[in-house]
Amino acid sequence: MIARMWHRHSCLCFGKMKRRTLLTSLWHSEPSQHRQECLCHIDDRQRTRKRADNARGDAQTTRAKTRTFTLLVAIVAFAATTFAQATPPPPAPPRPINWPAISESKLGNGLTVVLVPLHNVPKITAELSLLAGRGAAYKTQPGVAQLAARVMNEGTATRTSLQIKEELRSIGGALSIAVDHDATAMTASSLSEFAPKLLDLVSDVVRHPAYPKSEVALARTNFAQEIEEERSTPDFLAQEELDKALFGAHPYGFTVPAPAAIKNVTRDALKTFAATWYVPNNATLVIVGDFDAPKMHAEVERTFGSWKRVPLPPAPKVILPAREKRQIYVIDRPGSVQSTILIGAPAPPRRSPDYIPLRTTNMIYGGAFYSRLTRNIRESKGYTYSPFSSADLRRAGGAFTAGASVRNEVTGPTILEMLYELDRMRVEPVTAEELASAKTYSIGGMELELESQGSLATRISTIYIDELSHDFLQTFRDKVAALTPAEVQSSAAKYFDTYRSAIVIVGDYKQIKDQIAPFGDVKVVK
Amino acid sequence: MKNVRLWLAASLMACAGAYAKPIEVPVVYDKLPNGLKVVISEAHAAPTVTVAVYYGIGFRVEPKGQTGFAHLFEHMMFQGSEHVKKFEHAKIVEANGGNLNGSTRLDYTNYYETLPAEGVETALWLESDRMRSLDVSAENLKNQQNVVSEEVRANVLNQPYGAFEWLDLWQNANQNWLNAHNFYGDLHDIEAAKIDDVQQFFKTYYAPNNAVLTIVGDVDAAAVRKLVDKYFASIPQQPVPKRPDVSEPPQTKEKRVNQTDKLANLPALAIGWHLPDQQSPDYAPAVLLNLILQGDDSSRFYQRLVKEKEISIDWSGGINFELGNEFDYDGPMLLVSRTTYKPGHSADEIIHEIDSIAADMQQHGPTARELADAKVRFRSNYYDALETTGGKANLLASFALFRDDPSQINKVLPVFDAVTAAQVQSVAQKFLVTANRTSIDRVPAKEGK
Repeated sequence: MIARMWHRHSCLCFGKMKRRTLLTSLWHSEPSQHRQECLCHIDDRQRTRKRADNARGDAQTTRAKTRTFTLLVAIVAFAATTFAQATPPPPAPPRPINWPAISESKLGNGLTVVLVPLHNVPKITAELSLLAGRGAAYKTQPGVAQLAARVMNEGTATRTSLQIKEELRSIGGALSIAVDHDATAMTASSLSEFAPKLLDLVSDVVRHPAYPKSEVALARTNFAQEIEEERSTPDFLAQEELDKALFGAHPYGFTVPAPAAIKNVTRDALKTFAATWYVPNNATLVIVGDFDAPKMHAEVERTFGSWKRVPLPPAPKVILPAREKRQIYVIDRPGSVQSTILIGAPAPPRRSPDYIPLRTTNMIYGGAFYSRLTRNIRESKGYTYSPFSSADLRRAGGAFTAGASVRNEVTGPTILEMLYELDRMRVEPVTAEELASAKTYSIGGMELELESQGSLATRISTIYIDELSHDFLQTFRDKVAALTPAEVQSSAAKYFDTYRSAIVIVGDYKQIKDQIAPFGDVKVVK
Repeated sequence: MKNVRLWLAASLMACAGAYAKPIEVPVVYDKLPNGLKVVISEAHAAPTVTVAVYYGIGFRVEPKGQTGFAHLFEHMMFQGSEHVKKFEHAKIVEANGGNLNGSTRLDYTNYYETLPAEGVETALWLESDRMRSLDVSAENLKNQQNVVSEEVRANVLNQPYGAFEWLDLWQNANQNWLNAHNFYGDLHDIEAAKIDDVQQFFKTYYAPNNAVLTIVGDVDAAAVRKLVDKYFASIPQQPVPKRPDVSEPPQTKEKRVNQTDKLANLPALAIGWHLPDQQSPDYAPAVLLNLILQGDDSSRFYQRLVKEKEISIDWSGGINFELGNEFDYDGPMLLVSRTTYKPGHSADEIIHEIDSIAADMQQHGPTARELADAKVRFRSNYYDALETTGGKANLLASFALFRDDPSQINKVLPVFDAVTAAQVQSVAQKFLVTANRTSIDRVPAKEGK
């Protein structure tokens, strides 16, 4: 919000993260956040924290209700003196969704341009995505993609770092760059009256980064320190270990370089990286906001038209490792008052036909607040505040992840319930009621993204980065509506593979050792 | 050169107070006979609606000896009402395609759902049922005591720095218990809460005459207003207790606090200054001063500490920091800065630089360009806050709850445009001073870190 719109914080994928105001909230939801607001990947609907019940949970709840009634007679009696409608009003029929007009074109230099007028506030948001993920060149130059992105806006051929920031300030602008698994994404916004100036800045930053020596040196030092800082948080440690476990030597297995390796990334390497990957034929520019599309297109031509096409290196063929058995990885964190648990399994690339069924299956398991996982381990058992699951699908593959942070003494029971709920989805079909609800929730979530320029820009960028069909938004509702319980079950059978899952636990090993031993082979990684 | 021209254009525009595109948020406001304030604002850019209820009870004024109770109670509002069983609120909202949450803040507790607009009546029914009645058991309470304890562990006790920039800073900077207690709550207090306390709290604070109902979105205001009557008009009002005195005695001496952190790898510093009253003429200049000091990467604190001196690795801060914005509170407030800094440096070095920036601001005030840009920055941020139905609902509800005038949402910008450099300088002289400052230096407990 206003006071804290600017919260600079290190982000594992590097860069700047907005810390969310979620403290003292009912639950840890992060609806449709921007890609760069950490963890630097879009997962669907609610990004990192989500939610659900089981037959046992239901029974307990019913018992509780009976007792409740006696206890609360006073209040109810008092309240009942006035009229109250006992059942929810019948739902109004869903209306057609008017997706905004999306115009797509390609400049002569290969830059894909997508313009989406959205007149909600007098601002514009531009997202420029370059296909250069954080794992690019990580074997020889770990961290080069992250450093190249980080210093990109710290000086160009004609502007110093401070000039860039001051010009942004004068147009109510912001410009941040994040590197996720597949892309380096620059997100820039300003008041719409200054749109031409914003495009000038975005174009200058991506086309003419100067990599000033002093800025490179400072960025190296600070990046190394930020990694140290991230390593004190359990969520970072768990996510990094899970990606390593699921993706191995594939670039998706790389999160951040060892701090000591950063000094080996030279200024020349950064310049070479930029010259190789920051080119128009490797980029998509999505602009959402308060503008007129033909005029904006002319501005894009003016600012990006002379950007030179450069042949791209051939894409290396990388194979995702296959998993053969369940493995538990423990990161020992003595003194930890909670265990941070992640259960992960490989998932398909987003362009797979399995994406929409898996997205919906995830919502029933743990991707919504009223999901099975939340109903069980939070609302019935009280083990945790923030159970979640997510289908984090990427360009070349993905991860299905379920997680919770729980007090030490319920670590084992929590893993038991998480696995139980995963297996239950594989074994039994979901109920018609659950599926109907997940469908509406899934479709509604897409409609809610239309409220925000940033959310919509990220959603549309994903279509291009992950190579989805360009009518993804327009056909989404029908595809979701057609899903059957059998499809959900086979999606779970395929991707909720608990027997080949990776289980990562960050916690005080001494206190939880006996609880986790029964679930499989344990490797203490640090 | 290009630079200068652009700045001139921006500042001229700001001076004239006429923007390329001013926005006017439609506001329909009235009160039901039972005292419930109702704000409706049509917004047709997206096919969605936010229904929000803000109750005039926040953690600032929760009962003494029961730290964290306001927040624990917030959780209980999802545990069942007369016709909506435990957790069914979430079930119904999601089955209608929506998101929901609730949160406890300094001076309000809010409950809201954003959903495709055809769900507006369902949302109104849900909110009316739990305003009318709370149907919870000791077992539900035990369950949520566990959940909230895990929340405190996850967000505070198991995290490096433990949210010290608000929890610890507020406790140290303030003297009045209402401003100086642990807002998230001690685990001991959270676990001691009784079902009778929950029922009493509901009866005392969750009355229609202590609440604002706000509906923002792709709806017809007149039709929604009728639905509001249908669902809320018959809820009886309650005597609302007098608000306790939340005023904070002036701080007269600098406070420096040292803490160690068992989980952190790097040292961090949090600084707080007491701010002028929100309704005073000093407030708008103070907001712009904050933007000049720490509004973005070009600002004075960031440039000095991160870029020139290379002491800090990051810089963040603001008003109502991590809890809200400049308008959604009602009482004493801190301007907060937070930074993680490099081992080998010290809090003294950072404070020395802060002092020097403060001295410069007190002596010379902001530059013309800084002030003009801060106004543009403020406007841009304000539009961000108006972008979504939830963001608009937050401001409308706050202006209705605290000032009985939600139309103030359209009166904010001119006040900020009128601020002069001399006013910013004067605010720096009064508030950005050592005696008004509290800081906490939090360093790793581990050897060798």
